Parts: sequence; C-alpha cells; structure tokens
Amino acid sequence: MSSGHPRTSKNLLSFIADRFPVDKLNFHHMVEEKRVPIHRMSWGYYTGGLTALFFLIQVVTGLFLLFYYQPTVSDANISVEFISHHVAGGALIRNMHAWSSSCMIFSAIVHLLTAFAMKAFDKPREITWISGVLLLLITFAFGFTGYLLPWNQIAVNATKVGLQSVEDLSQCLPPFLAGLPRVLRETFQGEASIGQSTLGRFYAMHIVLLPLAIASLLGLHLLCVQLHGMSKGVDKETDKSERFFPFFIFKDLFIWAIVFLGLFTVSICVPFDSFLPYPLLAPYDPLAATPPGIKPEWYFYFVYYPLEMLPFPVIVALSNILMAVLFLTPWIFKGTSRRTLQTLALSATAYLIVMTLFGEQIVHFVKP
Amino acid sequence: MFPTPMLKCNSPSVFLQVTFASFIMSFGLCIQVGIAYPEFQQFSEKNSGRTTNCASCHENATGPAGNGSGQIGSLTIEEFAKLNEARTAFEPGKDVDSPILNRFGDLLIKKLGKRKVLEDRKEPAKLASDYGFQSDIDQDGIPDAQEFLDGTDPQNQHHGDAWRLFVVNINRYAPHIIAAAIGVLLLDWGFARMIGGFMAIKRARKKRST
Amino acid sequence: MMDTFLFIALPYVAFVICVIGTIIRIKKWPVSYSALSSQFLEPKALMWGSVPWHIGIVVITVGHLLAFCFPGLWQSMMGKAEILLATETIGFAAGVVCLAGLIVLILRRIGSSKVQAVTSTMDLIILGLLLAQVLLGLAVALHYKYGAAWVSGTASPYLFSLFTLQPNLQFIQDLPVAVKAHMVLAYLLILLIPFSRLIHMFAVPLQYVFRPAQNVVWNNPRHSEASEANYQQEEARREFIKGAAGITLGCGVLAIGTVDKVYNFFFGPRLSAKEEEEIMSTRLKRLQMTANQRKLELERQTSNFILVSALSDLKANEGKYFIDFNMNTAMAFAGEDGLPILMSAKCTHLGCTVSNQVDEKGQVLCPCHVSFFDVKTGKPNAGAPAKNPLPMLPWAIMDKRGKVIAERAASGQITGDTALSSIKECNVYITRDLEGKA
Repeated sequence: MSSGHPRTSKNLLSFIADRFPVDKLNFHHMVEEKRVPIHRMSWGYYTGGLTALFFLIQVVTGLFLLFYYQPTVSDANISVEFISHHVAGGALIRNMHAWSSSCMIFSAIVHLLTAFAMKAFDKPREITWISGVLLLLITFAFGFTGYLLPWNQIAVNATKVGLQSVEDLSQCLPPFLAGLPRVLRETFQGEASIGQSTLGRFYAMHIVLLPLAIASLLGLHLLCVQLHGMSKGVDKETDKSERFFPFFIFKDLFIWAIVFLGLFTVSICVPFDSFLPYPLLAPYDPLAATPPGIKPEWYFYFVYYPLEMLPFPVIVALSNILMAVLFLTPWIFKGTSRRTLQTLALSATAYLIVMTLFGEQIVHFVKP
Repeated sequence: MFPTPMLKCNSPSVFLQVTFASFIMSFGLCIQVGIAYPEFQQFSEKNSGRTTNCASCHENATGPAGNGSGQIGSLTIEEFAKLNEARTAFEPGKDVDSPILNRFGDLLIKKLGKRKVLEDRKEPAKLASDYGFQSDIDQDGIPDAQEFLDGTDPQNQHHGDAWRLFVVNINRYAPHIIAAAIGVLLLDWGFARMIGGFMAIKRARKKRST
Repeated sequence: MMDTFLFIALPYVAFVICVIGTIIRIKKWPVSYSALSSQFLEPKALMWGSVPWHIGIVVITVGHLLAFCFPGLWQSMMGKAEILLATETIGFAAGVVCLAGLIVLILRRIGSSKVQAVTSTMDLIILGLLLAQVLLGLAVALHYKYGAAWVSGTASPYLFSLFTLQPNLQFIQDLPVAVKAHMVLAYLLILLIPFSRLIHMFAVPLQYVFRPAQNVVWNNPRHSEASEANYQQEEARREFIKGAAGITLGCGVLAIGTVDKVYNFFFGPRLSAKEEEEIMSTRLKRLQMTANQRKLELERQTSNFILVSALSDLKANEGKYFIDFNMNTAMAFAGEDGLPILMSAKCTHLGCTVSNQVDEKGQVLCPCHVSFFDVKTGKPNAGAPAKNPLPMLPWAIMDKRGKVIAERAASGQITGDTALSSIKECNVYITRDLEGKA
C-alpha cells in the first residue's frame, strides 16, 4: 500500500461529506429553514421550477400519447395522424407535448445560463451543477429521440443526418478508435440503414431509459438544491430573503399557473407542425429522394448552423471544449466574480439567440 | 431544356440555399410531366417562402406522372374513364372527380373550369382570386385559396400559416381559453391569498414576540 | 281559460306584487327585511337544516337561472352527453340535499317548543310550499329525464315570451301536469316573498366575506399588543379561507376543463364507416409498403443478382431509384456509351438521398446541404460539403435467359461484350460486391 492511497480516499470522503452533510439531511433544514435571497437576479430562482413544470407536463401528455402511438414503421405515422385527426383531445395533447418539449429545453437552457451567471455552482454545489448539465444533455436526448417517432419525412431524414454525423466523428479520431463511431451509430440504429430497429430503440429510449435516467438525476439534483439552499446569487450580500416554504413555493405555483395558461392557449391555437413545410410531414418513403429543407429542431440550431459553415473537426473540437468547460465549470470559474460570469452568460445568450434566429441568414452570408 | 430558376424576392431571409435547392427539385419533379402545371407551385413557393410539392392539388406528391398511387401509370380502367371525363371539364360548374387530383384540385377545376386554369398559368396569382376565398376543405378556418398563397396544406386541418391559425383558433376556442383563464385567475388569487395569510401569521408572531 | 290565468295572469301578478311589496316593506319596516333568525333559540338542528338547504337551493336556483337567461349557451352545452349527465347529476344531488335540509328544518319547527313560539302561520305555509316544490322538482327530474336538455325548447321560450310581454302558451301546452304544477308553485312562492321571511333572499350578506376583520381597540396597553396579534391571526384565517376557496374553485374549473378535453380520449373516436374504411385502407397500404421493404431485404440477403431495369428503360437525364445490397437507395442512368451507370444515391456527406434529376451540367443535387455530383464520375463539385464521390456500383448485363453478357466489377473494370447491338434487349442487374466483402 502506498501512502497516497489512504489520503486520496480520505479526500474523497471529505469531499462527499462536504456535499452531503448528514446533519443537514432532514426536513427541518431542507424545507422549513430554507431561505431564498431577494435581489435583482431573484427571477433566476424560478427557472428551474419552470423546467420541472414542463417536465411534468411532458410526463402526463406523454402517457396519454402512449395510449394510441404504435412504434412500427408501418403504423407509427398513421397512429400519430389518428391521434391528431380523430381522437378526442388528441390534437391538443400532441401539440402540448410538442410545445412543452420546446419550452422545457428553452427553460432548461435559461436555467443553466442564470445558474452560471449567479455562480450557483460554487462550493459546495458542484454536484448540483454537474447533475444539472447531465439533465440538460438528457433533455436534448429526449428531443432527438422523440423527433423520430412520428416517422415522417423530416423525422427520419433529420435522424439519418444526425446519426451520420456521429459516424463522421471517425475522421477526428486516432486510427485505433476510428471504427468506434460506426459501431456507435449502428448500435443506435440497430440495422444497416435506419428502419424498424431504429424506431424500436429510439422508442425504448424515449419512453423508458431516458425517463428513468432523468427521474433519478432529477432526484439527486433536487436533493442537492434543497440541501445546500439557494446560492446567494449576487456578489454583494443582501440581507433581504424570504422563506422557501411557504412564500417561495406559492410564488412558484403562481407562476406555474400562468405559464400553464400560456402553454394551453398556444397549444390549442397553433399546431406545432405548422412551422414545417407540408412535404416534410408526409410519411417517410424509403424509396424517394430526401425532400429539401431537412433541418433539426430549433434547439439544435446553435450547433447545426456552425456545422454548415465550419469544417467538421473544428465543430467537434469546439463542442468537446464546451462539454469540458461545462463539466469543469465549478473548478474553472472558482475565483471568477459574478460580474464576469454575468458578462460571459450574456455573451453566450447573445450567441444562442443570434444563431437560433438568424443562423440561416448567417450561413447564407458566409457561404453564398 | 432545363430552366434556370430565377429568384427575385424582397425578403432574402427566406430564400436560402436550401430553398434554392428546393426550386431545382420541384422544377425537376413537375417539369417532366407535360400535363401538370408547375407554374402554380412555383408561384406558391415564391409567394410564401415555403417549400411545397405537387400534393397541394394532386393525389401524389410527385405529380401525376409515374406508376405510384394516384399517378397515371397505376390507374384502373374505371379510373381512366373518370380521368378522361374530368379532362372534358373545360367550363366551370362540372363536378370533377379526377383520380390524379385531390379534393382541392377537383374543386379548382370545378370552380374555374380547365380553360381558365390553363389561362391562369401566365398569372398564377389570379388562381387564388378566381377560386375565391369561400371554400375551406379542411375546415381549419383558412380558405383554400389563402392556403395556396401561404404555401400550406389545404387538406390538413393542423397545417396552416401559424399566425392565421392562431387568430382563427383563438376565436374558435375562446370559451375554453376564457374558462382556463378564469380557473388560473382563481387559482392565482388563492395562491396570493395564501401568501397573504402566511404574511399575517408572520406579523402576528412578530407582535407576540415583542 | 285556467291556463291563461295560471300561466299568464298569475306570473305577472306575482311579479308585480313581489316587486311592489318588497319595496314597501323595505321602506316601511326596514328592520323586518331579514330572515328573522332563530339561531340563538336552537342552533344545532338549524345548522344541519339550514346549511344543506341553502347550499342545495343556491345550486338549483343558479342552474334554473342559467337555463332561462342563456338558453342558447345552455343548449349548446347540453348537446354534449357528458355535460348533460353531469348537470343532471349535480342538479339531482342538490335537490336531495335541499330536501334533507328542508325536512330537518320542518322537524325543528315542529319539534322545538322554543322555535315554535316564534313560528308564524306564514312560516309553516312557506315550508309546506317549499317541500312540495322540491318534491315536485325531484319527481320531474326522475320521471321526465334530461330536463336540462328539454327545458330550452319549452319553459325557456315561454318565460322569454312573458318577459317580452308577448305571452305564448304554445311552448308549454303539452308539458306534464307535474311540471306545470312546479311552475305554478314557483309563481306562488314569488308572490309570497314580500309577506314572508323569504324576503331575506334580497339581503344576502355578501359584503361579510370581503369586509376586513374587526380590530377591537383596547385602551389597556397590556391588551393592545395581544389584540394586534389576534387581529393578525384573524386576518390570516380569513386569507387562508379565501385562499383555499380560490384554489379549490380554480382547481375545480381546471379539472372540469381537463375532463372535458380528455374524457373521450380513452374511449377512442367514433368514426363513420367511411372514415374507418379510409384509415383501414391506409394502414393496409403502409403494411404492404413495409412488406415490400422486407421482401427487398430478403432478396438482397439471398441472391447475388438483383434486377434494376431493362437497359432500354434507363434514361440519361433521370435516374431510376433502386435499393442496393446495403438497403440504401441507389440510382441507374443510361451512359453516353450505351452502358448503364449505377451509383449510390446516399450522399457521402450526411447520408441524404440524392435527387435523380440531372441538370444541364450533367450533375445531380443532394438537397440537404447542396452538393452537386457528376453523374459520370460520381465526383462532388468543388467546395461542396461532400468530399467523397458517390460510389459506383458493380453491375451485370444479362440476356433474357440469364446469361451474363457484360459486367462491371467493383474495381471499375468492364468485361464482356459491350456492343450496343448485343446488349440492347438485355436487363441490368446489380451484383454483390464479392471482392469487397471478402
């Protein structure tokens, strides 16, 4: 036994003990005593709750859709059509699922950015942050897998492109790993070209694996949030604060109700499919040419449009760096002031907005 | 032999390379077919900035030629008879049930007559006004002619210009939305009162302790 | 004659007397404008009688008023079976609650000597009339079902005709006696309002709910602190009651809305025979497409040659799509030399299916990211997102008897008799890339 080993394990133990203090693991501390600071960034504390609301709506509407959806290549598309056109309330429920998924991703991103700007990852909240980043990735995976299920032109072709991009990773890998992306893609795809096996796998992921993963991680995330309380959020200490229960929780519910009304109104009025050209909504035909205009959902634009403009390896490198930065944020930005963090978060927000709204124009401008 | 698509549009935002490609595609898909009229599709796309295909008026998304379903190559003898009958509808008013046209296509021929449709090829925008803004096949609240101008599906109730659908549906579902708003208002009023109650308790405790 | 008196004269008389009598009574004896509470004489039975009675009668009155005041809205709502059923159930339940409360109240009037002392004859008459009215209402609800639905075609227009001073008895002529009696009793009760305790219905203490708690001000400083705390406590209690009411009502409204939207979701749609047929035929068509796909797969598993087309059917400007051995889309063109060109249609960039339409430069387009591929070589244009050429596929030309005339190996080498005259009548096949597999 080397002398280093006990010390490492001791360090690890104390790291965990700091993050999960046993004396605070009780209802009194986590709920009754918890306080929420009041300052100009206080709205940031509500973004997480909103994401949770959208997640709950996803669970409920998703369960409803399961009653009629059939995950086979021959029936998937017509079962979705059946839900929209024939089942009572089906169109509303499906639209709500689609709108809420977009809202969930949107609010999760806003949550991440505000948490970053408020330095909510600072010690002892590293685990909260990392579980949060993982939750965001799972949410993206939900979006990607769910996109395929209606089995229409845009769904299958966009998934095809997405999976092919995985295989393209091989050009960026050292030779002994070059075969790995192909194996990965074929594992997700289940067969040589995208088909019934792919649908089955995506379906299993979308309704069983990912929900299980998100539920357990969400449990950890919420436990950490309650355990450590809200971070102070601003550099200058404020003395104003309110109790989490009952004040904050009722304000949270207040906002949930209004947001629900907005979601309901939008879902009942605007079918989500309306934003796509109708040729893309036709059932997938493996023998026909790919129709023009295949694009991922809007929340992937921030990586899709750069992918159109920059060489693939550059994008891969950039996203690897981004991932590393996201996971190591609590340590990289340990000493950074919240002012700097806010600037960083603002510039990230600006990038996301510009790329999502004007990405197409930028691509056109760069590559006429 | 192959026309180069000319793009003149005031809003460059919508006409990007992908759309550009779609033009080439659609030219390719419809121009082959001597009897189909791609002018209307081109106009619809240009007018709306959306990609469309032949399924706007035809049974088959790739147009009437070919041997897929709803295409000339796969018609039965009875269907051919129907097709030939439909082809004689030069003047408006004749009930048309063409095996290669969808309901919008049939109605177009019925309302305008084939002669007029052929004439409108020179000025595709006139097709909408000639057809009129009364008929709404899919009952989504947007007239077929408007859907033609918008480049949306006239036969799909859940497809249309998002803003127009919003305006239509907010009126259509007003009772539901108002009821939901009342429910949410009551709920929020309750939450606010709950907060008020807890505030009062806090004040009472403070008074007691002083 | 009798009808004219009961259903035209009586209502007008009752209404006029009710209005004038009430005004006179309020002006002359304002103190009597109340329910003449006997709560302090006997509170217990009163609670079990008065509370259910009032809850029930308020629900029922609101229901009746809605049906009469908004017949159009009411009818459109009752057109839905589930709403009709819910309305009938709620109405009947409220009626039963009324009846129970009323019986307790009557027993109390009769049973308690203290209460009897303040009971007037009018009180007993009113109780009797109300009992009869409630019983009649329940009987009608039981015997002539779905009154909530038929009322909008009978009683509603009749009452409307009364209000517009153009009484029309046609609407209620064929109504059953019980219903007519229910109406007559209602007119009698309206008529008696100014002469009885019923007048208290115009004195509902609604402001009680909204007025602030009363803060008792003490002169004694010892008390004043405690009283402020008590006041806040009282305030909190009121807020909680309001909050609970708001949340309950809000949840109730939202729950009704949710049930309205999803109630029929689980039962599946009721389709017409034509819709059913359309859906079935589409499903069958899709299944056949899948079956064809499976057949293609099986064929590609088992044979080394797959028929693409007759050589004479291939065109130079439009590719014919087919499925290659890897179940990817491929296309076939006629080359300038008369030999076929078979190339993969799976874009080497991100796997979209390339268009089969050849433009004037002899190129085909991948619509996803706009790469142009040369048909002769498969090479992408300079600057295209796709870097690699579309792979050329090996093919074989066989005559009608299955004899291979010419062949293109995976390496690109063409062997056999390529003279136009000898291959003109032949078919084009793709061949399994045996060398490539090995």
